[in-house]
Amino acid sequence: MKMVSEAQRQHAEAMLEHAMPVIQLVGVSREYASRSGVVRALDDASFTIGAGEWVAITGPSGSGKSTLVNLLGCLDTPTSGKLTIDGEEVHAMSGSELDRFRADKIGFVFQQFHLIPYLSALENVMLAQYFHSMTNADDARRALERVGLGARADHLPSELSGGEQQRVCIARALINDPPILLADEPTGNLDAANQKIVAGILRELHAAGSTIVMVTHDPEMAALAQRKIALSHGKVFCHPVQHVVVKLAQ
Amino acid sequence: MTAASVARRKPMSENPDMGHPSGFSGDKKSNGAVSLPRMLVRSLKFRRARSLSALAALTVSAMVATALLTLYADLDAKLHREFRSFGANVVATASGAVALDEGMLRQVQGVVGADVTVAPIAYAVATTDRGTSVVVAGVDFAAMQKLDSWWKVDAWPAGTNDALLGQRAAGFIANEREVTLSYAGKAVTLHGAGRLSTGGDEDSRIYVPMAAFTAWTGVQPTVLEMQVPGGAERVNAAIAALQRAMPGLHVEPVRALVAGESRIVDRTHSLMYGAMLLIALTVAISVLATLSASVLERRRDFALMKALGASQGQLIGHFLLEALVIAAAGGVLGYVLGSGVAWAIGEWNFGTATLPRVSLLPVVLALNLAIAAAAALFPARVLRGLQPAALLKGE
Repeated sequence: MKMVSEAQRQHAEAMLEHAMPVIQLVGVSREYASRSGVVRALDDASFTIGAGEWVAITGPSGSGKSTLVNLLGCLDTPTSGKLTIDGEEVHAMSGSELDRFRADKIGFVFQQFHLIPYLSALENVMLAQYFHSMTNADDARRALERVGLGARADHLPSELSGGEQQRVCIARALINDPPILLADEPTGNLDAANQKIVAGILRELHAAGSTIVMVTHDPEMAALAQRKIALSHGKVFCHPVQHVVVKLAQ
Repeated sequence: MTAASVARRKPMSENPDMGHPSGFSGDKKSNGAVSLPRMLVRSLKFRRARSLSALAALTVSAMVATALLTLYADLDAKLHREFRSFGANVVATASGAVALDEGMLRQVQGVVGADVTVAPIAYAVATTDRGTSVVVAGVDFAAMQKLDSWWKVDAWPAGTNDALLGQRAAGFIANEREVTLSYAGKAVTLHGAGRLSTGGDEDSRIYVPMAAFTAWTGVQPTVLEMQVPGGAERVNAAIAALQRAMPGLHVEPVRALVAGESRIVDRTHSLMYGAMLLIALTVAISVLATLSASVLERRRDFALMKALGASQGQLIGHFLLEALVIAAAGGVLGYVLGSGVAWAIGEWNFGTATLPRVSLLPVVLALNLAIAAAAALFPARVLRGLQPAALLKGE
């Protein structure tokens, strides 16, 4: 890692502190009813993620990562607390408002890619446009070119490798220009070579200004992020800025 | 806020210096490569086996519905036609001084309508050349042939002096070629043209042409047998009309036949309704199973669509539309096949073709769509309870 001075680090931290928060959690909890009683999967979480920040969410299985990702992805709502994304109070939204909000604000990258098997790579990217507003094949093709898959646009997912499928997934996540990219174990199903490619794409996106929230078990991937949010038994531990100075220097 | 993030959040038009993070413009103009019909067709093709299974079930339902409804619409006419071959369903007898002569016959025909077959019959008890008593009936053979088409006759009499011999009556006669009969001391010799076998009273009678009968016996017709087409209502209407117009006649329905016809028609209708209901239920269950399997198989696809921003309505609409498209295709296919089946059944059972009824197509389509929509209700509930987060996580 490139060494930075204390002054540079403090400057970077100050920049992030003053960055407009794109995600803000205040006392957010999520409880589930189970046979043995109420389970608190996320317990009084409070933190902010600034616009343009790259945050890694880490923690062992059962620590509440998925619950947090569901909340940040607007696939679920908190039992209590305030969740604000891009200036809007998500916790108070209805189901249909959440659907609309999700299409506008969140780009998902999944560990298992989740491409529609009967649609080509291009059409899979356009699917996100379809549920967002209007489809545009030229934009979708450019998104695929951006992740190095211009020549594979008309291929079905079954004709693509795992790494290529994940890149289609990234292109689909970005096609509507969402303020937040939510990546859940984006390299979990990839070999080392494809991990590098995907990590490189995420790095480029971050450099271009994307806010990335990434769940990962992989320390190498986590090290790419500016900040770690560690979870344990539903409790959140925010780590200080790690690499922001390196990123800024780059 | 970082400079980069501020730049990224601005639309492309306001921020020419900063490229789109994914490398494409924000300009949205639809050129429609992904559309609902396209996804629908691809989805149906991709799950060919499931789609064909649902299509087969819905085609069978439409086929059976079309065949039954086509036959049903034609059933009354066909059954009444069949019942007509069982003989008279109304009998009129002259009472008192009323004579059933030619004038009276014309009057009766005028009251009941031209489509009613009216056969006058005169009876006398004569003696055969063997000295046996036998009932001789004077009839109009043309009318009898129409009225009693079910009779087993080896040859209908054609000549003015020809007689039709009942199976048993023939045994009372020495020479069938030269049938000599005596009535009130007056003998007549007729030519036995053929034999009649019904298994009933007719087998013990000898039928002779009305003109020869009246010339020989001087006896006028006393009975009118009538075949009124169109079922119990029409029969009762004809009887009422005759009773009003000709009080000198004693008019009665042949109860067993009229009631039997009515009962059989009603039962056939019930049977058809029952069969249709049963088939609709069977098909609905089969389609329900297919659609449920289809939703469970694709719940991750639907979860993904939900994560991409699809509303609950869009997901259910997408799924419902798939079911309805299959139902519509099955409806059209089933209508064509069902019309063919109805034609074949009509031809085999009633000897007349039942022509396709275009008016049934919307009915059959509506029925199929209703079955598919009902069968899609349960899978739609599965979609409502979809947990995209857990499904996309692979749980």
